[in-house]
Amino acid sequence: MESKTTIINYTHSQAGHCESGATSNLFKFNGLDISEPMAFGLGNGLYFSYIPFLKVQYAPMMSFRNLPNTVFKRSTTYLGIDHTVVKKIKDPGQAMDALDRNLENGLPTGLQVGVFQLTFFPPEYRMHYNMHNLVVFGKEGNNYHVSDTVMELPQVISYDDLVRVRYAKGPFAPEGKMYWIHGKVAQEIDLKPAIAIAIKKTVKEMIGIPFPLIGVKGIRWMARDMKKWPKKHGNEKASFYLGQVLRMAEDFGTGGAGFRFIYGSFLKEAGEIYNHDGILEAADLMGKTANKWREFTYAGARNCKNRAKPTEDYGHLGDMMLEIAASEEMVFRKLEKIKL
Amino acid sequence: MEESQNPVYKNKDYGKYREMLYSSYTGGKFEKAVGFHGEADRVILEQAWDLFKERIEDARQRVLAGKASPVVFYMEKNLLDPLGLSMVAGISLLRVKWHFRPNAFKRLSNNTLGKYAKAFNISIEQLKKVE
Repeated sequence: MESKTTIINYTHSQAGHCESGATSNLFKFNGLDISEPMAFGLGNGLYFSYIPFLKVQYAPMMSFRNLPNTVFKRSTTYLGIDHTVVKKIKDPGQAMDALDRNLENGLPTGLQVGVFQLTFFPPEYRMHYNMHNLVVFGKEGNNYHVSDTVMELPQVISYDDLVRVRYAKGPFAPEGKMYWIHGKVAQEIDLKPAIAIAIKKTVKEMIGIPFPLIGVKGIRWMARDMKKWPKKHGNEKASFYLGQVLRMAEDFGTGGAGFRFIYGSFLKEAGEIYNHDGILEAADLMGKTANKWREFTYAGARNCKNRAKPTEDYGHLGDMMLEIAASEEMVFRKLEKIKL
Repeated sequence: MEESQNPVYKNKDYGKYREMLYSSYTGGKFEKAVGFHGEADRVILEQAWDLFKERIEDARQRVLAGKASPVVFYMEKNLLDPLGLSMVAGISLLRVKWHFRPNAFKRLSNNTLGKYAKAFNISIEQLKKVE
């Protein structure tokens, strides 16, 4: 293989959430100063769904974020920025060639990858999770330079390893998905219209979908289920299920409290841009809700530490969750009324 | 603040990989810091790994006792379930479950063994034995 060196002058910065971090870094590279929370909020990152009949890693599936690639796709679309998303490339060789071409053209390219075989990733997070995102910004011989927002510094990964993670199998398989922005963006982009659409859409997704497992209703459903867990499955399993809720909310690349802190800071930034008291109030409420999520984590973690004998009552934890749902609903009802 | 309720540890003894964490909302500001996960987050992550390790050890004992085929051990080692393994290896779920029996595993063709070996990222010789 020819050894050609192309390294794009790309600034890596660490972020709480992989995809919005990658999106924000790509925006910054193209001359548009958008912070991570802003990218997350504009891309409708916030979501909740609970799917008790699907088991992932021996516990019910739930998600605190939208489907992979939503953040990049929606934020660029709402801002009217020229971008490309290639959903699926069948042949790995072709996918890597396309990546090389992009790098030669000076376009840092975002990829969806699976985490399990990602060589530089912290070992304790290497589970089967296919919705991770990173940006490739350089090639040196057989190695690629990669900016992964979970890590402190840019990393290096070999050709074969990159092929393996890009074609990880399983649910939500990446299948070589890649995305990039076409060149520099005009400096004067007005964020206001995009913010208005984004907030409206998130409100709709959290309280407007008439299906009981999605949005605030989903949180309520999970809370009611949680109260039944110890009786239905026994203490060990109930504590593992509870642990899964907390792991999804706290550990896996969320920046804490199931993205609620990030969304709160988005609302705060949006309120400052609009100079709107209603949004700022909503941001304050969102922050308080996020703090409640953290309290829930501390209470739940005590149960996970002492697995056979729960120290906290599951009824109490369920009530805490219902309280969180109520307070989240209040935020979205408030946002719903605001006319932007 | 109680030590167990500290969301971000800054001390270097707590790990190798520092992450950016949003820790709390205090005084109208969203605090974020670069550091390590706090006590509560560690406990819940440990819980998952304890279960996985238990399952791997259990599978190893069953394989050594001749009650299951090495496929079971490597499946657990790769944190897969039968459905996940069937997706990764490209072998139908029923066949995968059939191959969990030691006798069925002994009769496997090199082609099928190769598929499993590729799924687990090991060689066929490694697949046949469990250390």
